[in-house]
Amino acid sequence: MSGSRSKATVLWAIVWFDLILLSLPTIIIFGASFTTGDIVQFPPEGFSLKWYSKLWLLDDFKAAFFRTFYVSLICTAVSIPAGTLAAIALSRYRIRFYTGLQVYLLLPFTIPLVVSGLGMMIFFGEIRILGQLWPVGIGLCIINLPFMIWAVSASVNGLDDQLENAAANCGAPPLQAFLTVTLPGVMPGVITGALLMFILAFNEFLVSLFLTDARIVTLPVSIYNSIRSVITPDLAAVSAVYIIIAFIAVLLLDKLVGLELFLKSK
Amino acid sequence: MNDKQRNNLNLTRRDFLATSAILAGGVMLAPGLAWAAQKKPKEIIVRAWGGSWGEALKAGVADGFSKATGIKVRLDFTEDNEIKPKIWAAVDQGRVPPIHVNWDTTTNATISALRGVTVDLSDLSNLKGLLPLAKPVGLEGYPLVNTYAYVYVCAYRTEAFPEGPPKSWNVLLDPKFKGRVALYDDGIGFNPISVIVGGGSFADIPDNMEPGYEFYRKLKANKPLLGEDADFTTWFQKGEIDLACTISVNARAAKQSGIDVAWTVPKEGCKVDTDGLWVPKGLPANEEYWAKEFINFALTRDAQQKWCSMLGLPPVFPGIDPPADLVGDVSYPTKPEDFEKLIRVPSKILVENQPKWFAKFNEIFQG
Amino acid sequence: MSGFNDRVGTPLASAKQSSQFPVRWRILDAAERIAALIWPRSLYPYTGYLLLVPALLLVFVLVIGLVYIGGYSLHELDLSNYRLKESFSLTNYYTAFTSATYRTVLLRSIYASLLVTVITIFLAFPYAYLMVRARRAMTRKFLLISLFLPFFIGQIVRAYGWLIILGKEGLLNNIIGFFGFSPLKLIYNYPAVILGLVQYMLPFGVLLLAPAITAISRDVELASESLGAHWCRTFIHIVLPLAKPGLVGSSVVIFTLTLTDFAMPEILGGGTTDFIANSIYDGFFQLSNSGLGAALSMILVTLGTAFVVVIFSIAGTGTLGFSKGAE
Repeated sequence: MSGSRSKATVLWAIVWFDLILLSLPTIIIFGASFTTGDIVQFPPEGFSLKWYSKLWLLDDFKAAFFRTFYVSLICTAVSIPAGTLAAIALSRYRIRFYTGLQVYLLLPFTIPLVVSGLGMMIFFGEIRILGQLWPVGIGLCIINLPFMIWAVSASVNGLDDQLENAAANCGAPPLQAFLTVTLPGVMPGVITGALLMFILAFNEFLVSLFLTDARIVTLPVSIYNSIRSVITPDLAAVSAVYIIIAFIAVLLLDKLVGLELFLKSK
Repeated sequence: MNDKQRNNLNLTRRDFLATSAILAGGVMLAPGLAWAAQKKPKEIIVRAWGGSWGEALKAGVADGFSKATGIKVRLDFTEDNEIKPKIWAAVDQGRVPPIHVNWDTTTNATISALRGVTVDLSDLSNLKGLLPLAKPVGLEGYPLVNTYAYVYVCAYRTEAFPEGPPKSWNVLLDPKFKGRVALYDDGIGFNPISVIVGGGSFADIPDNMEPGYEFYRKLKANKPLLGEDADFTTWFQKGEIDLACTISVNARAAKQSGIDVAWTVPKEGCKVDTDGLWVPKGLPANEEYWAKEFINFALTRDAQQKWCSMLGLPPVFPGIDPPADLVGDVSYPTKPEDFEKLIRVPSKILVENQPKWFAKFNEIFQG
Repeated sequence: MSGFNDRVGTPLASAKQSSQFPVRWRILDAAERIAALIWPRSLYPYTGYLLLVPALLLVFVLVIGLVYIGGYSLHELDLSNYRLKESFSLTNYYTAFTSATYRTVLLRSIYASLLVTVITIFLAFPYAYLMVRARRAMTRKFLLISLFLPFFIGQIVRAYGWLIILGKEGLLNNIIGFFGFSPLKLIYNYPAVILGLVQYMLPFGVLLLAPAITAISRDVELASESLGAHWCRTFIHIVLPLAKPGLVGSSVVIFTLTLTDFAMPEILGGGTTDFIANSIYDGFFQLSNSGLGAALSMILVTLGTAFVVVIFSIAGTGTLGFSKGAE
């Protein structure tokens, strides 16, 4: 096949461009975090870990970091059942007003985050839960919920529905069929979705800005606030910490379930 | 207001007199008896601008306050515009507001006062003897107190102006500086100036802003950058701009980090304005008391001196010498004749018209 | 149903195995009975709706927020006390629709959304395709990790990375300067915003395309190519149409996320390339005019929703949903 070489060349050329586009800001920020100077720049001026040690000494940073972790966990924990069940419902059951429901469930994307944030601030304030951390997790779960539903849908679509029928025909009661056939089948999607939800929550700043205050500020919000006042290399160091966490998370995921899982839809 | 609350307030006022007596006596490090009447919160939260602004507040006011009272001060760097709706929503819903003290522009503070979310500060002991600038104009009592003045100067990179500082704001239109001039992203600080440089006069403000808008239309062709305080410092540092209309503090910060930046007041003048402090309604009585004490502390000679000299701005406490690098500087008005070169638009006019100016500014630059 | 038994995979086998564990059986039995009590067989037709309840409730929080915002949009701002007037009026909508600024900004946002969607999908498709079709596990893993890593770095920080790269004294201009050219103005303009957005959306695009491409049988492609069709033709006539669910899903996500984006125009736009979300922000925060901000929000939400409705009615819900359910 003479075409296959030109095919590979063209496709790989685009993919390499993608790879550069994707990783360039990451690499730059990572590199800039080791500067000895006071300005974020690339190539960095000298090499030092001083911005990291400065970060480590900052109690505010540590506190904000753990709060962000907590908020992201809540977001993920809420989204797993809500998103999984919704995805299964949408793809396995006869639902009326299907398109309408899909449009409704996409509201988190069609409403700008500024508006979602304000709306939730007013509502959470009205029911007196504003100022606590867990509603922030709920809020972040809401605005990213479509990602969870979509990730699970993708694996439900790949699941052979004959399997569930078979289970039912063999006399498996509904709950058992669900737990032993459907759920394991969509697990790859659940894991992908959970990872996405966690990442997105860990990075969200606009909605978080409205739902937190100085007592419970999370990392992305303090990054956002500091970037607007003055940008020093400790910001690059914070980002580098993010990158390292990302790396660990991805490796962990690979070890636990295998990244391949998420590509297999059949 | 019910009786209970009123008693509470009276109590506060009495404590206050005692406190001020101590302050006046100069035994500030002995908070002791009088202050004990109001339970101290562990910390109070003060909204502030970041960067050199926040550092100045911390070193000039917050650290001293903590030392004197033992109350930790946490600076909250939420943007001034973003804290506004958060406070308003809290007061409207009867919740405790997210901060204790707001460091705010006088215009924004006046808007919050008009909305009725500010606590009256008339009983602060240190108000006496301050320059008239401290008193908010057109408002009853002291819903806020102005703490210093500042000038939106014409800041420039000296390298780009070998023949000396720009004489007129018209330099913003010079094609030589295309894409290398900067204004605030809502035109704040330049709105009254644009009218004058556009051929109008001070009397045209606010009824005939057209000369200013005409100037903006021409300026648009020169592709200005639009940003906020920190952007100007960064842009100067990174060589992105040659010229900006910005608060002198930002230009001075760039200069202090080794960038060749200077500033001037062109012949059309510069806008002078004030910032202030205020306390939102809805705090528990003891926290409100200590929030007001924080402001009172910020008005002492010591705090004013340290805070404002770090900022490089003229304080409202009379008779404080300017920092060495700013003696006789245009951005540091002290005498009446200094103020003559500057343009001060009354808060009332700003509050009523600024939204329209912002909208028009946006229309021209986003269109 | 004849081939049933061959198709039954391990899950059922493991269910059978569990009969060896009576304790587990009993627990499952009890759970089954409780489930039957709470949700009797007669309610089975509604099981789908039951499963949807948590998600519907969560999103309903946004609807409540929208009701507040919608309410605001119907009152004009009173400049004497900066509160919204009691009386109802459509002034805010009138302002929004008649202002040339908002029209420009809105059109700019829509145009950018289309542009970003097309570019991102063009870039994401080969990525997703090679990732799915990669023969070596290492290649696949490498592509997956490269995709997930930038995800962890939020929009603001990535935007800031671009400032370092594209700035006047940035990396790229240093390289250009090294070859003796004068520096270019690469940031604080529309192309920079588009670039930032494409970079941000790329992982979303790839992740939404991948399942659809996985579903395309390799045999179909091989058949087409062995019949002598050029790979380009195969790609355009066979692969793309078959990947429609992925295209629909990713377009909807990229389009709506771009349409409502705030951070990229704010940081990379230099203040003169606002999107509509920036205008909404200014309305609420800079002008303190929640009525106007709310009216703009309602217009944007209506527009985005209308777009989604149109796409879904024309092309189904793609990888965002399940085509079978729709039919």
